[in-house]
Amino acid sequence: MTDRIVHMFDTVAKQGHGSVWTVLFIGFVFGAVILYSRLDKFEKMAGFMIFEDTLVPRMAMTTVALSSLGFYILVQTGYASYSVKPVLLAGLITGAILFGIGLVILGKCPSAFFVSVSEGRIDALVGVLGGMVGGAVFTLFYPQIKNLMGPDLGKVQIFHYFEYHALLVVLIFSTILLITAYLLPTIEYKDPADFNKN
Amino acid sequence: MPRQIPWWVGGIAMSLLFYFSFSTFGANRPIGASTGMAYLATVLFGLDANSYAYTAEIEQSGAWEGVMLIGLFFGGLFMSIFVTKSFHLSLIPTLWKERKNRSVKSRMIWSFIAGFLLVFGARLAGGCNAGHILSGGSQLALSGIIFAVFALGTGVITGRFFYKKKVCKNDR
Repeated sequence: MTDRIVHMFDTVAKQGHGSVWTVLFIGFVFGAVILYSRLDKFEKMAGFMIFEDTLVPRMAMTTVALSSLGFYILVQTGYASYSVKPVLLAGLITGAILFGIGLVILGKCPSAFFVSVSEGRIDALVGVLGGMVGGAVFTLFYPQIKNLMGPDLGKVQIFHYFEYHALLVVLIFSTILLITAYLLPTIEYKDPADFNKN
Repeated sequence: MPRQIPWWVGGIAMSLLFYFSFSTFGANRPIGASTGMAYLATVLFGLDANSYAYTAEIEQSGAWEGVMLIGLFFGGLFMSIFVTKSFHLSLIPTLWKERKNRSVKSRMIWSFIAGFLLVFGARLAGGCNAGHILSGGSQLALSGIIFAVFALGTGVITGRFFYKKKVCKNDR
């Protein structure tokens, strides 16, 4: 296992997507922002889907709104390039459904459950272990699963349908998200555990 | 230091990080997490790239996200110890106790199943909420939008059946 871990760092150092330190730094800040905004909490993620808390949708909408505009500008100025995931329709829909069930039961997503473990949550650690087994099972049965994932509709971006008005589409998309995030009511689940322990 | 930042500060901070990661100043790629989870699983269970096609397929992006997840863990640890001071061992979330039950065994079994579904589902869909909703949505990717609709729709429906309704707050 040790050589696989060394190999992992080695692969990152060689692949030209930032140095190992840059990648660790990105992860560190990502984890810090998730924890500091309390996105890792069950009450925030599961609470969002049972209408007890609106932090997650408001924060996610703000992020996507600002990022979509920023990404567009970065790509246009040549400082970035789009990297879009393809639509493998059957896999995408089935996967999203399984993911949605897992998300509301565990109350964290695959990045937040690591952050949750770092806060001392044993249930999140068990979730990570379940995830590890999930990843391994997927790897084992990939040859069979692969045939069921299609049809491949390609790496489509919405503004491809509006060739000459891409910026306008991005602006409208971003504005709608920002306004929605602002207008959503503040529903906050105040977790007594946050106030008693400290 | 405050114990929590408001949603809009979190949103701005997150998008600044995304700009950095996405641009050539940073890593020149969007952030994702579930490929990293699958990659770490192959490391843990010794499923090497020579024998398993999927390990070979995610060799590059999985390694990147694997390292990113290690950084993420320490980012969370740093904040929970020094800033929010919320680090403590806990077994069951408060809202779960309110809506579901107080049994540690039940929470652990469901956590395991849910963790399994999360990563298996994310791999089947080709990404999780970080890759599909945050990074995908920010690139106006059709795959991200389809994923968001189905994942969140299923989540809301499952939530209604899975958790008990609270008196007085169930009609909204």
